[in-house]
Amino acid sequence: MGRSIDDNEEGVSVWLPININENSPEPLYHQIEVQLRALIVSGQLAEGTLLPSIRELAQMLKCSVITVRRVYQDLESEGLLRTRQGTGTFVASVQEEDRDRQRTASVIEAVEAAVDAAKRVQLTREEMLQIMLRILDERWKES
Amino acid sequence: MEANAITISGVEQRHPHFRLGPVDLEVAEGFVTAIVGPNGSGKSSTFRLLLDLAKPAVGRMTVLGYPVGEGDDRVWKRQIGYLPEDSSQEEHYLRGSEKAAFVRQWYPDWDVNLYQDLLRRFEIDDSLKLGKMSKGMRRKFELALVLSHKPKLLLLDEPSSGLDPIAWKAMIELLHRYMEPGDRTILMASHIVDEVRRLADYIVFMVRGQVLGKYEKDELFQRWQVLFAIPGEAGASSASLPALPGVVETEPASGGMVRIVTEHAEETERALHGMGYRISSRQILTLDEILHALMRRGAYV
Repeated sequence: MGRSIDDNEEGVSVWLPININENSPEPLYHQIEVQLRALIVSGQLAEGTLLPSIRELAQMLKCSVITVRRVYQDLESEGLLRTRQGTGTFVASVQEEDRDRQRTASVIEAVEAAVDAAKRVQLTREEMLQIMLRILDERWKES
Repeated sequence: MEANAITISGVEQRHPHFRLGPVDLEVAEGFVTAIVGPNGSGKSSTFRLLLDLAKPAVGRMTVLGYPVGEGDDRVWKRQIGYLPEDSSQEEHYLRGSEKAAFVRQWYPDWDVNLYQDLLRRFEIDDSLKLGKMSKGMRRKFELALVLSHKPKLLLLDEPSSGLDPIAWKAMIELLHRYMEPGDRTILMASHIVDEVRRLADYIVFMVRGQVLGKYEKDELFQRWQVLFAIPGEAGASSASLPALPGVVETEPASGGMVRIVTEHAEETERALHGMGYRISSRQILTLDEILHALMRRGAYV
């Protein structure tokens, strides 16, 4: 934060592993918000971590500052982020119950997407169930 | 909520072969706004009007809160950096350093350290005569000049013309850093799609002297989509599809599907579902595809 062409320092903020799917019908702000929330609640971004400025994150993700500002505001109102005037946006402390809810939330979302894909190609409920069970068996064996 | 760095209201300019306007446009402070349009659509004319280098027939403009064309303009022009589309031919005999020494007289806020830093960053040799610089180096030099007095507002006319990919990337990064303090504004004209995607917060489409609309960038790409829709029953009539909300164009596609261009994907999809259609796949449109669709609709093509 506070980095500008007037400063001579070459400081780089933390890079965030956020992937954007431009072809997804999910709004951009939602894609970013879900992933950033997961990074915070899972502890991958520790409490007190300084996030990129709004302009920096917009540059990294090739989106507008309007979108990033919306994400930061949403997560701030959830209590996951804290903004200190003039210093920047930081990761706040995460409650234990948030962490538990978050662990399952991303999985539920992925399964929902898989079910939607099945419906698109008109699989029956039974066929979908078989696929799920088969993959569960395979993956669990591997690990 | 935000202040405007620029307001243009009811501005018209009439030439024998070209008419600009009436243009109404607000450019929000703290954001990058890109004007996109084909050559000859009035982008450069708009810049010249904003700088009072040309006078409108009618209409009013403000820049950084000051009315254009009234009173002492030095106060606000000192806070602007203007990069015209073409570099002046008449300065070919000048060395870069000589032009810089000339320009800095006009700007009390000229920052010599920033100027030197930009020369280093862009690998510019300002002891060269401007006519001897390559096209790319000249462009980078002119950009360094307009940034060195730390303007509040940048007006950039096709900023990347002549830049190689490496210099182009450096420019994009530099402009992002320029914007970092949050109270600065860029209004740029560009027809480089990737440049607009990387820099802009707002996109303004301009065609034949008319503003076709201003959009928040991410929302624009979210809304404009191509949908491939399958009718609930084979052979169903598609005659009513063009009247659905958001639909811009429809045409038959393979397998009995309909290809639909929409400017409001969510609304169009809801209406299609209501009619028993299923969405088989979707694509997002590129900036130039959106521009073309807008032009076709306005019968500009």
